[in-house]
Amino acid sequence: MGLHPPLAALFVSLLDQFLPRTAQSQNARSMLYPPRWLRCFGLCLLISWQSTAICAAAEERSGEQIYQQLCASCHGARGEGDNKNYPQPLAGDRSVTELSQYIEKSMPEKEPEKCVGEDAKKVAAYIYDAFYSPIAQARIKPPQIELARLTVRQYRSSIADLVGSFRPAESWTTDRGLRAEYFKNRRMRTEDRVLDRVDPNVKFDFGESVPEPDEFDPVEFAIKWQGSILAPETGDYEFILKTDNGARLWINDNERPLIDGGVKSGKEDRIETIRLLGGRVYPLRLEMFKSKEAKEKRAAISLKWKLPNRAAEVIPQRYLLPQRFPETLIVETPFPPDDRSEGYERGNSISKAWEQATTDAAIEVSAYIATHQREFAGSRNNNGRNNGGERRGRQRENNKDAPNANEDDGEHRNKLREFCVRFAERAFRQPLTDEQKQLFVDRQFAEAGSTDAGLKRVILLVLKSPRFLFRELGNTGNVSYDVAARLSFGMWDSIPDDILLKAAADKKLASREDVQNQAVRMLADPRTRSKLREFLLQWLRVDHLTDISKDSKRFPDFNPAIVSDLRTSLDLFLDDLISSESADFRQLLMSETLYLNGPLAKFYGFELPADSEFQKVSFEPSERAGVLTHPYLMSGFAYTSTTSPIHRGVFISRSVLGRSLRPPPEAVAPLAPDLHADLTTRERVLLQTKPESCQTCHSMINPLGFTLEHFDAVGRFQREEHGKLIDSTGNYLTRAGEQKQFAGVRDLAAFLAQSDETHTALVTQLFHHVVKQPIRAYGIQTPDELRKQFAQHNFNLRKLIVEIVTQAAMTERGAKTDVTIGQAADKINGS
Amino acid sequence: MTYVPNRREFLRNLGLSAAAMPFVMNLPSLGFANQQARKQRLIVMFSPNGIVPNTFWPDQEGEQFTLKESLTPLEALKSRTLILNGVCDKVRGDGDNHMRGIGCLLTGIELFPGNIQGGSDTPAGWSSGISIDQEIKNQLQKSPETRTRFGSLEFGVMVPDRADTWTRMVYSGANKPIAPIDDPHQMFAKLYGRLKDQESLKSVLDELQDDLRTVSAKLSSSDRQLLDEHATLVREMEKELQSAGDLTSQHVIPELGARVKEENDNIPTISKMQIDLMVNSFVADFARVATLQYTNSVGGARMRWLKVEEGHHELSHKPDTDASSQEQLTRINKWYCEQLVYLAQRLAETPEPGGGGSLLDNTLIVWTNELGKGNSHTLDNIPFVLVGNGLDFKMGRSIKYPKLPHNRLLMSLAHGMGHRIERFGNPDYCKAGVLPNLT
Repeated sequence: MGLHPPLAALFVSLLDQFLPRTAQSQNARSMLYPPRWLRCFGLCLLISWQSTAICAAAEERSGEQIYQQLCASCHGARGEGDNKNYPQPLAGDRSVTELSQYIEKSMPEKEPEKCVGEDAKKVAAYIYDAFYSPIAQARIKPPQIELARLTVRQYRSSIADLVGSFRPAESWTTDRGLRAEYFKNRRMRTEDRVLDRVDPNVKFDFGESVPEPDEFDPVEFAIKWQGSILAPETGDYEFILKTDNGARLWINDNERPLIDGGVKSGKEDRIETIRLLGGRVYPLRLEMFKSKEAKEKRAAISLKWKLPNRAAEVIPQRYLLPQRFPETLIVETPFPPDDRSEGYERGNSISKAWEQATTDAAIEVSAYIATHQREFAGSRNNNGRNNGGERRGRQRENNKDAPNANEDDGEHRNKLREFCVRFAERAFRQPLTDEQKQLFVDRQFAEAGSTDAGLKRVILLVLKSPRFLFRELGNTGNVSYDVAARLSFGMWDSIPDDILLKAAADKKLASREDVQNQAVRMLADPRTRSKLREFLLQWLRVDHLTDISKDSKRFPDFNPAIVSDLRTSLDLFLDDLISSESADFRQLLMSETLYLNGPLAKFYGFELPADSEFQKVSFEPSERAGVLTHPYLMSGFAYTSTTSPIHRGVFISRSVLGRSLRPPPEAVAPLAPDLHADLTTRERVLLQTKPESCQTCHSMINPLGFTLEHFDAVGRFQREEHGKLIDSTGNYLTRAGEQKQFAGVRDLAAFLAQSDETHTALVTQLFHHVVKQPIRAYGIQTPDELRKQFAQHNFNLRKLIVEIVTQAAMTERGAKTDVTIGQAADKINGS
Repeated sequence: MTYVPNRREFLRNLGLSAAAMPFVMNLPSLGFANQQARKQRLIVMFSPNGIVPNTFWPDQEGEQFTLKESLTPLEALKSRTLILNGVCDKVRGDGDNHMRGIGCLLTGIELFPGNIQGGSDTPAGWSSGISIDQEIKNQLQKSPETRTRFGSLEFGVMVPDRADTWTRMVYSGANKPIAPIDDPHQMFAKLYGRLKDQESLKSVLDELQDDLRTVSAKLSSSDRQLLDEHATLVREMEKELQSAGDLTSQHVIPELGARVKEENDNIPTISKMQIDLMVNSFVADFARVATLQYTNSVGGARMRWLKVEEGHHELSHKPDTDASSQEQLTRINKWYCEQLVYLAQRLAETPEPGGGGSLLDNTLIVWTNELGKGNSHTLDNIPFVLVGNGLDFKMGRSIKYPKLPHNRLLMSLAHGMGHRIERFGNPDYCKAGVLPNLT
């Protein structure tokens, strides 16, 4: 039996699918194509099968051969069916066994005896792996923009902004610190005020004296600090109040104190935890009072916080604002985590737990809104929310916003109805039709027994509606509103603001220029900065580094405070980069400075006074390179007493170069250093990864990681190990097949900073972080085009995010993009 | 004392191994299949400013005793009442007696030093330990058989809107006072708000499904999958709400009536509302432990409805020789006793859900006070009047102890609830173990 020409053609086309396109990133490809071994297998299969097909006997036919002979004429060469009699593609969720039983009994139609026994099994196995199973379908399906639900982050931000949009907007100033009012007694009346100033932070020890001895009676006084606090990242914040006196602290709730220390009791610090969303500001108020009591001689107070994975510190001035911002609703309902199997949070699946969480959250929000209904509706009897409510002690929840005598007064009801329409429109990111107003608002009020119940029904219905919960529903009638939503979820992970909605209404989001202008405007918002910062932390794999503690015998001074300071040092560098005009990505690799404070300088051998605040310090460029050698990362990618070239090499391969690495074939414990006391870490790693099965990946990982061998387990520069000089040479075989040699980390950094591989990896990862859709769904060339733009704009990260969001915002789901990339970035400088 | 073995003890007595348990559990013929362990409950009721000893304490000891004027409302429940004289709050340290009186009453341990200055003593802060009701609640919440939705509920009546040592009796731990909820509407929202929300949710589900269909219709078939899943999950939720609704319909959600303003003259109304809510929450098995705090330590309620015009605390400072004040104070305490009796009677007339007898058969109410006597501020002879059969104490008696520390009573309460602790609060007062002669 000879080889059918169509069959050969099929294989060519199959291989075409499988073979690498050299210009594309390995990372992106790995999502679409089978791993390399499978591609090799395909090649082998083609060669061997051609020979077998020509000379071997019929009984040796493979499942694929049988399929092509007996099945493909109806089902299509790849199970796609034909247009006439078999339109249904061969895809489903039956098991291989079920398939083979079915084939045995029924296939081919009318001649089932032609394919039985082993043949049926082979065919079943073949079609299952090649195109039938859901996994195979995912593999062969071209990437596309998916209908998606809001991710958990997007949900929380959207609720915060949706509710917050009904509160007065505050614009930012550069003022930092807290407004501080000092009173000569505990009554805190304006006429008793003797000082009104801005304090950089709260850290005072008045001893047995008073703040300004000329102004105060020495026995009794009170201080009120007011303003707002900026949360740099999302997480649980611990607030720690230490004082010899009575004090109360309010955060993001102007009525109920987070810490009610009006009763001073014992010596312990008062600690409370509150969850805050990053990139936002929250109102803060702190009051302390020293009484006349003879026992209460001293007065002292400090306000600290403890960020996730950080040590406690006095809240630094840069996070405090003297301005008061309104409260933000932070949904407390726990949500199941999002799918991150592709390396970024995706809203591509739902579950019962998610359904329950959205229901619980909707109830939580409806209760909050019902409680604050007079404020939101703008009705009378607002009861002074947000005026800094001076009431002491426990609040009376139900009375807070309780309508007075007549709950259903008509005016309030009307205002509430208007509120509900606006609420739904903002939640749905578009105006309501008359019919929708009827359904979502009027009918709910009409059918509910009371105004209160009507309000709750509207909120529940709106927040459970797919119009709120899903992105990319499309077909909303007005494309501009879809563009607005894509812009805001891209830049902020949240719903559009009023400016965007107005632009959509005025049809001012039609041209690329309009969209870019909006993206540039939105770049200035702290939410964008927070999003970029979170991305860089992910890119640096900082989320993997939760416990950096070291062998206390080898590194006795490397304590939690140092770790925490290191993290601050890294954060400061990233914040600097993001907010600088040039936002040059290459600085991450090439910078010659490091933020250090007194303790860090001492630990890492730099010259700074012991009590120095954080400042930029230049280091010897031949020794270190950007954040690549940042001691936080070097300590994180290390064992407790020795370095780990493998962890460091994996970070560079995966994150920086975007290489896909499979997990090791078996779990391996690192060789114990003390069992190989004569070997350097480099030698030990080489010994351990010598086997051929290791080398497939480690031939890339090790020589990248070795370039960082000068940095010990706490990130200090070391010249030798066990008396041997450190060997920090390394190399890398590029995707183009070029062997690069590095004398040390500076060489490596210089290579990475100019490498297309690095740039493509960064562009791809940032795209996924920002848009939460597969980049190639926006065009097969998108990664490459974005990379070129990135290079043309001197690797400006701010321009890149604008470019990414502009392109994504302009792309309708299901439509192929032909948008020219590149104009967006010009906008930033031009505007 | 009647001892009803619970199911586990019964099985242990039979000598059945744990492996055999599942089989035994399914054998109705053993007669235990649907029987739950007995639901024991504990209520602590607090009123302030001490009592008038000679119109309060019975002269006699033992089962034959005469109720004095303050306690006459208990006549009908006399056989289910246990009056403990001679139990003393021996905890000393910082704070005045009113502060320590309430702050150490249920915690049995000293207050932290602090900035709250009372009468003449050293200032103090919060208690340095957990209170017995929370200790017992934590124990009950550990086990699935005794775990309830809230574990404990803290009721109040006209508790001032300020957090200080005089207004807090219950502590979840050192420096962790729990504020009682003294607004019946707030308590109602806590107990039933969720059910109300589910009602609202149920009422919008049809419209939600309509909306889903409208949105879905505009999508391609492959896109529709995610929304179909969403719709299926919404339908599932609807079914679950339906069945949950069937279950909750067994417990009638009480009607609370119009909002009552929190002010002095409404104390009787609020008191009744709170007691009714408490009884209802027991029927629904929301909690097995509750506290009911009238005003606060040093509370100054003006009981005009008893023709008492002066504030309670002021009156309590008048000397014993002031007959009119003594009479008015007796009237006040008699009124508190009436609240106790109303609570006990509501429990007595409410059948135990799923079991024999009444709620009162499984509930013990402890009525207490921060002081023994108002004008002397003594912490000796703290009033402890116990009503109900929840803890298998031998009721219908008047007992006079030789000045024993109240820590031992707190331990007895825990033991009676099945929590066999060996010390509670300051260990110095616990050495001799639980109070004698209770069971």
